[in-house]
Parts: sequence; structure tokens; C-alpha cells
Amino acid sequence: MAAKLPKLTLWRAITAIIFMVGAYAAYLRFFIGWQASTNLTDAQPWGLWVGFGTLCGVGLSAGGFGLAGAVYLLGMERYRPILRASILLSFLGYSTVCTGMLYELGLPWRIWHPLIYWNGHSVLFDVSMCVMAYTSVLALEFSPSLIEKLPWKAARDFYLHWHHKVLIALVLAGVLLSSMHQSFLGGLFLIAKGKVYPLWYSPYLTTMFYLSAIPAGIAMLIVALYLCVRSLNVRIEYSILEELSRVMGIMLGVYGIFRAIDLWRNHALQYLFTRRIETAYFWLEIMLLVIIPVALLSQSKIRNTPRALYWTCATVVMGFMANRLNVSITAIDATTGANYSPKWPELALTLAVVTAAAVAFRLAVIHLDILPKNEPKSARWIMNSAEPAEA
Amino acid sequence: MEKKAILVDIKRCVGCQSCEQACQRVHGFPEQHQAHLSDTALTVVEQHGEKFVRRMCLHCEDPACASACLVGALKKSSFGPVTYDAKKCMGCRYCMIACPQAVPKYEWSKLAPYVKKCDMCAERQAAGEKPACVEACPLDASTVGNREDILKEAWSRVRSDSSYVPRVYGVEEFGGTSVFYISDVAFEELGFVKPALGSQPLPTLSAAALGETPTVVLVGGSMLAALYWITQRRRDVALAESHTAQPKQTEKIDEGRS
Repeated sequence: MAAKLPKLTLWRAITAIIFMVGAYAAYLRFFIGWQASTNLTDAQPWGLWVGFGTLCGVGLSAGGFGLAGAVYLLGMERYRPILRASILLSFLGYSTVCTGMLYELGLPWRIWHPLIYWNGHSVLFDVSMCVMAYTSVLALEFSPSLIEKLPWKAARDFYLHWHHKVLIALVLAGVLLSSMHQSFLGGLFLIAKGKVYPLWYSPYLTTMFYLSAIPAGIAMLIVALYLCVRSLNVRIEYSILEELSRVMGIMLGVYGIFRAIDLWRNHALQYLFTRRIETAYFWLEIMLLVIIPVALLSQSKIRNTPRALYWTCATVVMGFMANRLNVSITAIDATTGANYSPKWPELALTLAVVTAAAVAFRLAVIHLDILPKNEPKSARWIMNSAEPAEA
Repeated sequence: MEKKAILVDIKRCVGCQSCEQACQRVHGFPEQHQAHLSDTALTVVEQHGEKFVRRMCLHCEDPACASACLVGALKKSSFGPVTYDAKKCMGCRYCMIACPQAVPKYEWSKLAPYVKKCDMCAERQAAGEKPACVEACPLDASTVGNREDILKEAWSRVRSDSSYVPRVYGVEEFGGTSVFYISDVAFEELGFVKPALGSQPLPTLSAAALGETPTVVLVGGSMLAALYWITQRRRDVALAESHTAQPKQTEKIDEGRS
């Protein structure tokens, strides 16, 4: 009987600990209160949960709409093998955001209120409507992966037939919805003009958020796919990732140029070298998000080495997180003097929800047809170059 | 009801804190002086050197908080006050991000926290009473009345007494407010916020971004649809060509490849 129990590995133990600590943090948040579980104050009412949970969660999930748009609307069929994985990644990302919303909101049982109480002047209203609609679109886009595992053939065929008919409409709606809310997330901070430190305030915050979300979504996708290939029995044509990384490098370069022009036009260049902690955070962000990855991705050697590409993409992901946290926390702290840093339950809850998404992703890849599976014990990377895979 | 406004005369205020206590009594909060606005102190007498400044919500004419609130829990009433509907609020705290004066406060100590801010005693005013803080002021440092009359009063006090700074705070700031201040000390020295946009209300910033939405949806939607149409058309043409041109040959090539 012992054979049926799952083996206890180091990673499983770590995961279990993360969930237990997360559960205790959730207990603190929902039964003891905000002051026991967060360092939020009136001066910094949005901390790690909004800054990381919502802004990064939504942004890093941008891969799904990018890939769906590329395959279905632009006919780039060569990306199809990783399409399902990217949609799954986005869907789980948005589910994470929705879960995170439950502890971000003071009155989480009213999470549905925007459906009946409308304020069209509110950027957050548009964000919430878009996110709700797009999460549903993602669920529908992803649904065939589950439905096709149903044992009833008639129901399965009926669903897949109709799904195929509405798919393009779904993809089109999805691309529009996510383009809108990715930029509106930046738009949230437009109204707080006096409160956002000049290095991050821009009338084009919407454009900036949009331009950075797509490459960050791609980076997250490559990171996830690399980990899949390393730890699961799946196969990915490496040339796809190489090509994606080239597109990502160009997008990051474009973003960097826009950002520079924008700083110049907002007369913010004078803040680039002032002796303040914000300056350091700014340069950290720019190094991780633009300068290092663009320099690395311009080298074909880096792009063609899976491990190097993985670390480059991880840098982009970290730089992206730095950017969103800077806009939502550093930039506000600088002017309100809130001096916020997260309390441990904030970190623990965030980590637990992200881990849950990672576990769900892993289980889905193992049990559903998300990525082409390997023949047992064959080479893990099918390379287009002669170089053997390092993975 | 006509539009109401409150005038706070900093020169007249001696810092007795009667307004604080009256406000706390009306709201059922513990009566105690606090240094800054909080969820149990919706108006506070701050000391700046020799001067006392009563802080409270300014009740902007075009309030950032009301424009930010996604469920419309915060609203500018027709007669002046910016009110809060606790039944709608979902606790997102975006109003706190949006308010340039950091007026809305949150009940961090509660498990079901609400936003707390001065509502200019809207209910009392609707019943014909004065706001509690104004009523409690023994020295007429706070006055309430129709907005036009209050503005006239403010200007006449400033003009008739040369010790006043020749300015009424709240006429232009944040696009105009329903609380005015006059003072005999420069406002900058008393910790008054300098509006980021001068006399333009903050909500215009997000309105500019939101205004583009319909265009983006229409233009973006049709462009995407066109792209899809082109993609499909090219695929169909390629398929038709491969079928009509040399069907047998292509089949052979395919066989050869596999």
C-alpha cells in the first residue's frame, strides 16, 4: 500500500511548508486583522498585495493574449505547440489575481459589486470589468483541454464543435480586453499625480504599462516552459523559444526608448542621479528590465543556449516586478513618507498563492494535453542547432 | 437645496478643539484630540507654530476620490458634501490613493473595515441643521452657508483687514472646493498641499485616458478582425492553389518527406 502514497521529496516538503505558513497568514488576515497581517497604513493603503498580486500577476499573464493573437489572428502557426501552455499560464495568473483580490479587498464578499454599481469615470472600474471578462475568456479558451478528457463522446464532440465556432470571437475579445486592462493598470496612477515620484509619473503610464507587459508576459512564458522541459517529460521545439526571445528583446528595446523619451519629456532627467533611495530602485529596475536583457538578447549565442535564455528571461521577470512595485510602492512612499515594507504574512500569502498556481500548472501539464509529451527517455531538448542541450 | 460651503478663518481659530469634540460626538467616536486625521478623527486642529489649522475633507467640486471609486460609493452631492455610501464600498482603498490631501482614512483595526471621512454632516444639513463642527465653534472661526455667500464673506474679510493673506484657499485649488480657508499666515507655511495641477481637477487626468477607450475598441477591434480576415484568406488561397495546381505532385512530396 505504501507505493500509492506520494514520495516525499525536498520540493514537496517545501511546497507543503509554504502552504501551511500561507494558511496561517490567511488566518491572521481574516480572523485577527489587518494590523496583525500587514504593514499597510493610511499613507500606503496599497502594498505588496496590490503591487505584486495584482499589478505583477496581471502583467506576467500577458503571454496568453500575445500568443493567441499571434496564432489565431496573425496566422503564426509555428507558435501553436506552446499556445495551450501560454493560455494555461495566463488563466492561472488571472486566477491567482482573483484569489489575491480576496485578501486585498477590505470587504471581499462584495467582490461582485462592480457588476451592479457602475462608475464609468473610474479607471479601476474598467480594470475590474476587463479582468472579470478576460478571466472568463481565458477559462473558455482553456476549456477544451479539460473537456477533451471527458469520457462521454457525444458531449465532448458537441462542446468542441461549438467551441471551435466561437473561438475566433473569443480570441479577438481577449486581445482587446487584455490590451485595455494592461494599460489601465498604469492608468490607475494617473489620478495620483502629486503622489507619484517623477521618475515614474507620466501621462503615458498607460502606454508604458502596455509596452512592458507583453515582453514580460513572454519572458514569464519562456521561464515556465524551460522549467517544464527540465522537470517534466515534455518536448518543445527550441527554435520557437529562440524566436520568441528575439521578439521580446526588440519589444524591450522599444520600451526602453519610449521610457527614455518619456523621462525627457516629463523633465524627469534631473532625478536620474539625485542621491535618493528612489534613484537606486529606478536604476535596479532599468538594469533588470531593459539594459541587461537587451544586451544579452542581442547575442545569438545567449538566445541559443537554453540555460542562458532562461536566466535572461528570469531577469526580465524580476525587472518587471521591480517596475510595478516601484510605481505602486516606491513612488508613493517617496512623497507620502509612508516608509512601507511588507510584513511577513503579506509575503507568505503571496508566495502561497503563486505556489498554488505553479502546482496547478505542473499538474495540468502532467495530466492534460498541454505540451507535446516526450517518448520515454529520449533527449529532452530537440535542438535546431548542433549544440547539445545543457538542460 | 442650494450649494453649501464652509469657511475656516485661521486668524480667528484659537485651537479650543470644540469642533473636534462635536464631530466625534456626532459620529459616536471616543472624544479625544488626535494629532492627525484618522478613522476616529474626521476633523483635527493642527498646530503650526502660533497658528491653528482645522483639517478636514475639502469636499472638492470635482473630487478625485469620487472619480476613482469603482462602485460609486463616494459621491459629490448636489448641495456640496462628498458623501460615502458604506453599503456599496468593497474596500479597495483606491480613494485613498486618489485623494491628494490624504483625507479618506481606513479602519485598519477592524475585520470589516470601512472608509471614514468627513461628510460635511450631509444628513444634518439636509435636515436644516449646521454641520456639528461649525455649530460648536465658539468664535465663528468656522462658518457655513450658501457657497456664493460664503465666498463673498471670505473675500470681504480678506479685503477689509490687511493682515490677511490676499487669497482664499479653495477657490481654484483642485478645481475648487466646498471648504474655504482664509489666513493671516502664508498657506505654504501651514502645511497646505499645493495642487499638482493648479486649478485643474485631478479627475481630468484619468478622463483623458478613459476617453480613448471607445476609439481603441472600435479601431483595435476592426484592425484585429481585418488581420484575421487577411490571415484566413491567405491560408485559403494557399490551400486552393496547392489543391488545383499539382495535387498529385504535392502528395508525392509529402509522402517522400514522411
